[in-house]
Amino acid sequence: MDQFLLIALNGLTLGAVYFLVASGLTLIFGLMRVITMAHGTSYLLGGYLGYVVARETGNWFLGALGGAVAVGILGLLIHQLLIRRFQDDDMRVALITLGVSLIGTDLMLATFGGTATQVPLPPELQIGLELPGIGQYPLIRLLILGVSIAVGVGLWLFVNRTRFGSIVRAGVDDSQMTSATGINVRVVFALIFVLGSALAGFAGVVGGTLFPLLPGQDGTYLLFSLVVVIVGGMGSIPGAAIGATLVGLISQFSLVFAPTYSLVLTFALMVVVLAFRPQGILGRRAATA
Amino acid sequence: MSILTKPTDSGLVEPLPVGTPQKSAWQRYRWILWVVVLGAALAFPYVVDRPRFWIPNIGIKSLWLGTIAMSLVFLNRYVGLLSLAQMTLAGIAAYGVGYMVVTLDQSVFLAVPVGILVGTVAGFLVALIAARTKAIYFLMITLAIGQVVYSFASQSIEVTNARRGLAPIPRPDLGVVDFTQLHIFYYGALAAAVLCYLLCRYVAATSFGLALQGIRDSPERMSALGYNVNRYRIAAMTFTAFIASIGGVIMVFDRAQVDPDVVSLSSTLDILVVAVIGGVGSLGGVFIGGIVLTLLDNFAQNVTERYMTLTGLVFIVVLLFAPTGLAGVGKQVVRALSTRRRAPQAPTAPDVPTPPGITDPSNERKQQ
Repeated sequence: MDQFLLIALNGLTLGAVYFLVASGLTLIFGLMRVITMAHGTSYLLGGYLGYVVARETGNWFLGALGGAVAVGILGLLIHQLLIRRFQDDDMRVALITLGVSLIGTDLMLATFGGTATQVPLPPELQIGLELPGIGQYPLIRLLILGVSIAVGVGLWLFVNRTRFGSIVRAGVDDSQMTSATGINVRVVFALIFVLGSALAGFAGVVGGTLFPLLPGQDGTYLLFSLVVVIVGGMGSIPGAAIGATLVGLISQFSLVFAPTYSLVLTFALMVVVLAFRPQGILGRRAATA
Repeated sequence: MSILTKPTDSGLVEPLPVGTPQKSAWQRYRWILWVVVLGAALAFPYVVDRPRFWIPNIGIKSLWLGTIAMSLVFLNRYVGLLSLAQMTLAGIAAYGVGYMVVTLDQSVFLAVPVGILVGTVAGFLVALIAARTKAIYFLMITLAIGQVVYSFASQSIEVTNARRGLAPIPRPDLGVVDFTQLHIFYYGALAAAVLCYLLCRYVAATSFGLALQGIRDSPERMSALGYNVNRYRIAAMTFTAFIASIGGVIMVFDRAQVDPDVVSLSSTLDILVVAVIGGVGSLGGVFIGGIVLTLLDNFAQNVTERYMTLTGLVFIVVLLFAPTGLAGVGKQVVRALSTRRRAPQAPTAPDVPTPPGITDPSNERKQQ
């Protein structure tokens, strides 16, 4: 029973990292109707930059901030130079960002090398917490779970309950009408893209604290974010939370009981969801068209 | 470029050559182009200065890259679906051959059909999952499936021998044809690629192919006419899996081994790069894409170590400025020059194009 709880908690915290990555992807897709395949690249780059900043300054929070801000700025560049012109052409955006991810993989390998690195954590956070039924559990994992939940709730409130959020949703539904009411839709979309990229960068720092950062993880995290949003429903933030939780739990349980088939089971989850709900668990019907 | 258009209007963007107004000169002389291209391909092993380098690294590799990319292009042009799983399917076929030859110690006569069968069946299964979705979702799901296969291939000791892969898979000596000789193998690969091309053209022209194009342009209408849209999509994907599997079989004998790298994300992107450079509407253009990529692969290393960055840049530049690819640039230029009515020029044996390639006039006429 102890072991079961431990695995479940590990799965939840892993799901928290997946959610942080995928939330940026689903945010961008939900509001802009484009998908960025460079999302895994943003994750890994954020992790590496966070590592560098945290190592130099000795401050984890500066590292997280640096990773998020730098990747956000890069996202702004990518959006302005490559995506903005093709706003209505989702396939071309997907292909161009795939090209960006190819370049990113190569340049990161050249810059940061092939060895594993991990974002250093301040010693005062490297403690365990006594949990009933489990025993010692690393505090940082619980903190990350909390941060992830906070980010999720914050994003949902931001999109659904703020004025800016309603501007963005209006821009998606009818960008011409929204422009006509005096709102600069292009700026709005650029901001959303920056926010989504910055989330991926932040997720990279968080993920890089728990797990080693390695070349190839850009592909892995792109895959996981795609699976999470496919399972949860494209564009839905609560859907991404459900998807990330399921994927995290399945990963951890299968890692214990059937290690080789961890990813195959994750994949089976995707197949099952697609078979019954092609639009994802919380996806809108129209989204499948 | 039909991948870059919504399914509803893709028929307008990529008109078939039959309907284009300036077809006369172009259509009349196209067979010359064909003769020249085939002649160049046949003469290739004998005109290059270092056959041991050129035949495998440029010739054979371009052929299997092109064949696999052709399966992607067929699916995109005639069904309107952009699949990133084609390299994965080719890799599965390659693993099928490898498993038969290395693990089960069977002859190639059995291994090759089994490999193609395995790849085709895998394509059918992928189709069952993915055919329910379209456009960007289809792209994402095929990409995700490819990544899952990659991680399975790099973890499963029993089936794929994990990271080490399956080796050796030597080219067979069949007595009459000795594939261990490089140029014989090159001609075998060339024959396979040409047959695949003809098969794709043939299938596209059958009533099945016409139904596919109808489904691409208006699934609702075809459905109302009584066509089972999903079944047609699945059949088309299975067919392209067959083509990709043939490419995979050539690949496995070219590499003499199979390891997880063949199904990795970067291999998948290679195929996409080949298809996009070649022009995602043009079946034959993929071979230009293959040549460009292999040349980049082999010669960029003299200039820079960052070969992947260069590939990515070329890919993005082509997407930004020439969405119909190099073959499409040719078409545009032909249209622009139609008053001058020059006969298609002979493409020389593969020369080194400038990396962006799209402004190099020697490339523009290689394909329709």
